[in-house]
Amino acid sequence: MKIKAQIAMVMNLDKCLGCHTCSIPCKQVWTNRRGAEYMWFNNVETKPGIGYPKKWEDQKLHKGGWEASDGKLRLRAGGRAKKFVRIFHNPDLPSLDDYYEPWTYDYEQLTSCPRSQRQPTTRPKSLITGANTDVKWGPNWEDDLAGVNTTGAGDVNFSGLEHEIYLQFKKVFMFYLPRICEHCLNPACVASCPSGALYKRDEDGIVLVDQERCRGWRYCVSGCPYKKVYFNWEAGRSEKCILCYPRIESGLPTLCAHSCVGRIRYMGVLLYDADQIKKAASVVDDRGVYKAHVETLLNPNDPDVIAAAREQGVSESFIIAAEKSPVYKLAVEWGLAFPPHPEFRTLPMVWYVPPLSPLIHEIEKYGSKPDQPDFMRIPIRYLANLLTAGDEAPVRLALNRLMALREFMRSTRVEDQPDSGMLDHVGMTEPVAREMYKLLAIAKYDDRFVIPTTRRADDEDMYRGRGRLGFPRES
Amino acid sequence: MKNIFHTLAFLVFPYIALTIFVVGHSYRFLTDRYHWNSKSSELLDHDSLKYGVILFHWGIIFTFLGHFFGLLTPQPFLDKLGISSGLHEFIALYTGMLFGFMALIGLILILRRRFKNPRIKATSSTNDLVLLVLLVFVVFAGTYNSFFQRYNVLYTIAPWIRSIVTFTPDPDLMREVPWTYKIHILAALTLLAFSPFTRLVHIWSVPVKYSLRPYLSFRRRWQGFHKTFGLEE
Repeated sequence: MKIKAQIAMVMNLDKCLGCHTCSIPCKQVWTNRRGAEYMWFNNVETKPGIGYPKKWEDQKLHKGGWEASDGKLRLRAGGRAKKFVRIFHNPDLPSLDDYYEPWTYDYEQLTSCPRSQRQPTTRPKSLITGANTDVKWGPNWEDDLAGVNTTGAGDVNFSGLEHEIYLQFKKVFMFYLPRICEHCLNPACVASCPSGALYKRDEDGIVLVDQERCRGWRYCVSGCPYKKVYFNWEAGRSEKCILCYPRIESGLPTLCAHSCVGRIRYMGVLLYDADQIKKAASVVDDRGVYKAHVETLLNPNDPDVIAAAREQGVSESFIIAAEKSPVYKLAVEWGLAFPPHPEFRTLPMVWYVPPLSPLIHEIEKYGSKPDQPDFMRIPIRYLANLLTAGDEAPVRLALNRLMALREFMRSTRVEDQPDSGMLDHVGMTEPVAREMYKLLAIAKYDDRFVIPTTRRADDEDMYRGRGRLGFPRES
Repeated sequence: MKNIFHTLAFLVFPYIALTIFVVGHSYRFLTDRYHWNSKSSELLDHDSLKYGVILFHWGIIFTFLGHFFGLLTPQPFLDKLGISSGLHEFIALYTGMLFGFMALIGLILILRRRFKNPRIKATSSTNDLVLLVLLVFVVFAGTYNSFFQRYNVLYTIAPWIRSIVTFTPDPDLMREVPWTYKIHILAALTLLAFSPFTRLVHIWSVPVKYSLRPYLSFRRRWQGFHKTFGLEE
C-alpha cells in the first residue's frame, strides 16, 4: 500500500444556479493575459450540450484519455512511438475555433465617433488579429440551452436515449455543469507529455505544468479527455488550472469554490492507494471503473490507514484534514458524488452530486414511491452516462437518498413529526440524514472546506523556483 | 583582395558562426528556458498546417542526417565499409534531391500560410519571418545544387568541413567549388549562427527521454529542484 494524499473537490449540481461567479475570479486572477484570453480554468456549461471546446466528451473525435479494451491500459491517442511520429502535426489537437477566438470591443468608438443619426456601436474585435470578428462559440455558448436544438444531437450523454425526444420543448431538461481540471489520479495529460513537464504533486495531488520545462509539443492538450489543459498561443506553452495552490497551501479554498454563491463546492483531503491506480484504471468493463476508483480511496478513520500514512510521510495536517474530509463523506461514505466520465480512465478527483429535478406529471398516475428519480425531468440514463459510464443503479440510489433526505427534513421541520421510514429504504439512518442536511443544505464554510495548511518555511529559494510550479513567470 | 575574402568566408566566418551557435544556445538555455519551444501555431489554424509542416520536418530531418553523416565521415572509412565514393555520391545525390525537394515544398506551403492566414500573420514576429526566408534560401540553394549542379563534393567540401570541425582549417579546399555551393554554405552558416535566437531551439529538445520514463510522474515540491535547474533536460 502506497498512501498518497489528494486535495479533491465535490460539486453539488443540485444547487448550481449557473451564475458563473466561479469563472470570474478565476479568469481575473489566472488567465487575463495575452495568449490566455481564451482559457477558462473554470467554466460553467449547460447540459445537455456539446460544451467547450466543442464536443470535448466525444473521445471518438478527440482521442483523449485512456482505453483498456483488453485489460491493458493504453493512451487512446497512441503510445510513445505514435506520438513521436506525429509530433510535428498532432491530428487530435483541437483548433482555436473549437474554443473561440478571443475578442474585445472597440469601446473608444462610443466616445470618439463623430455626431451621427444613429447610436454608436461597439463591434467585436479579435484579440489576435485586431480585425472585426464574428463571435461564434465560447465557454458557455449553450447557456440555458441556447442553440441546443441544433447542437444537442452531438452530446454523447444521450447514448441509449432518443435525443430528439429530449430536445423537444415539452420534454426538455437542463442543468449546469461547472468544470475545472480534475487533478486526476491517473492523468492522461501527464502521461502524454513528451518533455515530462507535467507532474502530479506528491503532497497534494495537484497536477501542474512546469513552465520552464514545457516545450510546447501539445500532446497534453489533446490527451486530456476533459480538455482542461490549454495551449498559450502567444508563449507556445501549455497552461492549466493550478487548483489555486497558493491558496490551498494557506488552508484556503480555490477561488472558484470560495466565490460560489450557491455554496455547491466542497473541498477536502482524500487518502488513496497509489499502488491500485493502474489496476483501477485498467478494469475492462467501463462500468467497473467507478467502483474500482472508489476502492482506491482509503478510509481515513481506519487506524491502520492512518498509521501507514504517517509512516509513509503524509503530513499530520493532511491526516487530520482527511479524517474530517467532506469530500470523503460525499463521495465514499454516502455515495452521493460521482466522478465525471469514469470511462475515460483518468480517475478524476473533482466529483459531482447529481441534480434532482422536477417530477414530471406522470407521477400522479403512478403514485410517489419508491422510484421517484425515474420520473424526474432529467433522465437518469443521461446522468448515468455523464457520471457512471451508464450504470444507473448508483445514480438512482444517490437521487433516492437526496429525495429521502428532503422528505425526512420536511417531516421534521414542516410537519414536526420526524418520520425516518423513507430513510430505511435507501440505507440511511437519522444521524446520517441530519449530518447530510447540515453539509448539503446549511453548508457552512468550515464544513465545506477542510483544507490543511502546508509548511513552506523550509523551502529552498522560492524566487529561483518561479515558473516550475505551474504558473508562468512574467515573460 | 580576393584571397582575403576567401579566407574571411571559409576560415574566419565558420568559426564565428559556430562560436555564436554554441555560446548562443548555452546562454539562451540558461537564461531564457521559458521561451525555449517551437512556438507552435497549430492551435491557431489546425488544418492549413498539416502538409507543409509534415513535408518540411521529415524532409529537413533526413537532409540534416544526410549532411551530418555524409560530410563528416571520411571517405577512406566508408571505403572500408564497402561504400565506394561513387556509391556515396549516388546515394547523397538522390536522397538529397528527394528530401531537399520535400523540405522545399513544405517550406513554401508554410511560408504561404504565414502570409495568407490572418491569425498566423498577426502572430508572426520579424524573427519568425527572417528565419523562414533564410531557411527557404538555404534549402532552395541546396536543392538547386543537387538537381542542377551535381558537383562532386567528396574531395573538396567534405574534407573542408572536417578540417573546420577538427580545428585544422584548410580554406584552400574550397577554391574550385562552384559559387552556388559557396552561397549554400555561407547561408547555412548564417542560419546556424542565427538559430539560437529563434524558435529553432526546439530541435535540441527532441523528447528522447519520453520513451524511457514511466507514464505517471510525481514530484515532491522541492525535490528535483537542483536536478532540473541544472543543464539537465
